[in-house]
Amino acid sequence: MRSEADTRRTDLRGPVTLAVLGTLLPALLFAGLFAGAVSLEIKTVLNSLLGLDGPRQDFIVLQSRLPRGLLAALAGGALALSGALIQALMRNPLASPKIVGINSGAALAALIAAFYIPALPQSLMPIPAVIGGLSAGGLVWWCAQKGNIDPRHLTLVGLAVGLTLDAGVDALLVANTGPEASAPLIWLTGSLWGRGWIHLASVAPILLGLSLAALILAFRLDLQALGAERAASVGVRVGLERALTLLAAVLLASVAVSVVGVLGFVGLMAPHVATRLVGGRHRIMLPTAALFGAVLTVGADTIGRAARPPIEISAGILTALMGAAFFIWLLVAEDRRTYI
Amino acid sequence: MNELSFSRLARPSRNALIQLAAWRTILICVLATGALASLLTGGRGDVGLAQLSGLFAGEAASTAEQTMRDIRLPRSLAAAFLGINLGLAGLLLQAVTRNPLASPAILGINQGAALGIVLGLTIPALSAVPGWVLASGFGMVAAFLTFAIAGLLSGRIDTMRLILGGVAVGAIGFSAVRLGFTLEDDIARDVVRWTVGDIADLRLAQALRLAAFAAPGLVLTYLMAHRLNLMAMGHATSHGLGFDPRQTLLLGTALAALLTGISISVAGPIAFVGLVAPHIARWLSGADHRQLVPTVATLGAALMMWADALSKLWPQTEEIPVGIVAAMLGAPWLLISVLRRSPHAF
Repeated sequence: MRSEADTRRTDLRGPVTLAVLGTLLPALLFAGLFAGAVSLEIKTVLNSLLGLDGPRQDFIVLQSRLPRGLLAALAGGALALSGALIQALMRNPLASPKIVGINSGAALAALIAAFYIPALPQSLMPIPAVIGGLSAGGLVWWCAQKGNIDPRHLTLVGLAVGLTLDAGVDALLVANTGPEASAPLIWLTGSLWGRGWIHLASVAPILLGLSLAALILAFRLDLQALGAERAASVGVRVGLERALTLLAAVLLASVAVSVVGVLGFVGLMAPHVATRLVGGRHRIMLPTAALFGAVLTVGADTIGRAARPPIEISAGILTALMGAAFFIWLLVAEDRRTYI
Repeated sequence: MNELSFSRLARPSRNALIQLAAWRTILICVLATGALASLLTGGRGDVGLAQLSGLFAGEAASTAEQTMRDIRLPRSLAAAFLGINLGLAGLLLQAVTRNPLASPAILGINQGAALGIVLGLTIPALSAVPGWVLASGFGMVAAFLTFAIAGLLSGRIDTMRLILGGVAVGAIGFSAVRLGFTLEDDIARDVVRWTVGDIADLRLAQALRLAAFAAPGLVLTYLMAHRLNLMAMGHATSHGLGFDPRQTLLLGTALAALLTGISISVAGPIAFVGLVAPHIARWLSGADHRQLVPTVATLGAALMMWADALSKLWPQTEEIPVGIVAAMLGAPWLLISVLRRSPHAF
């Protein structure tokens, strides 16, 4: 149990962390306006951004780099929230939307839609992704029920489901892309390449609404963390709330995947870092995780563009490299009994 | 936790011998039909077994005979040797980790080996080193990284950690591969096909290179069979009977990494054969590795030739790489084995 002094310190840590991340995010977004194949001067960027007179690069700043950054922040935040919800639900700190197979399901369904229903407009892309994510999540859940698997081993089932779906993704890719059309491949590694206001507009309302719902659920999650029986005894309708939380988590991850592809390990890393920063209470941990996920994704996208222009390194490659290393550290450093 | 059954190690009864003979016959039939399926499918309809005579025709061979001699036969052979290499690698890994879910792909060895190949292509200083050396070396590094994560240093390998650690190591390796492809445009052209494992362009030279590893690999694994059996009885038993389990682990992993490395340098990372072949083999011939080694080799070859045939029969204009067929058959298998082993198995 937490001592009173401890609680007070955590209470202070929360707002401070949120404030720091809250300033870091706009700063990174601003820095992102400078990264890319065309290098810009501060004056040019400011002129375009604020609509002032003088040298401007409206297209690069306002049509290409700005929406991209905003989308990265939104998607990263959504994946982080999804990961935090899933970890809370399964009470398994190694779970994440990717490990549980949701990302692969969403990616497979979105690819099928893109290849076989070419008439589908971009604004409706989240629909097949959500269907795929829900099916994958449902499959994992059903397998777990059927095999009577305890939540801690659910990651293995999710992994196997994810690998099965990935095989389908690979098959589709090879069957449908020639040497010229590598756009789906770029999308699949988790990239913001070629994303603009259309993509942002198609997912922003859904993601913002879902994030709000997740934050409301956060208060109830703190009660859930007591365990199913004790939560029920203090008046939580456990089954309903778990189902709602799972739904929110799957929707967040699927919609994010439908625009930015499989950004690996953001959903795994962000909740852990957030827990270390502000403690485990969800009402403060969830917003921290979301902000951290946004910072991480915007940072990865910016670095990917700035590293070797004009080549772009997909944000997904960088987050996966970072995230997998983090995951290993998690496996090694943490107390064996806690997790496995 | 994951003991293998030793009920069949005792002297087999008469019925069991008959059963074994029946299984062997079926196995040979599966291999033979696999070879036929692999040889007889393809773009040209006029190429059949009769065209094998092209082997002896030299310059006078007809186009159909040349197709059989220069394309179909080497490709089928390559598939068979890949199956042997990968199946044996999987068997070795499952034995030394005492974990039935282990395989080159799941422990991150495939991805590590792929990284080795890409580094050889992108770093000029490494270009003189043969691909299979780099692939095997990096595969081995990946394997031991995974083992270390799983708790090798503290003496006991934990199932969950082994799998999750392998996934993480694999994710790093594969992200680095994609990074390499991003930075080097020249080698990015066939990225998708290569990273899923493709044997469509293999000719006799590559098939022979695979064979040059498959044959000694088979012999060495067979020579290790006794060690592997002792390993299954537990580290203490193995130690007590004169074989250091750490030595077995080192030897087995090195051999597995070598077999995986050569396969990947030739055909790209093909997953799941290493997982599935030992499972079916254990089901057919019990847990004794002296029986398992030849069974796994036969099964691996048969599975890969069937996968090759299916890849050519795919109803698309362009045939699908064999690695994808293997993954589509193997990944559900993984799911089923995970479900079957729970909840008491871990």
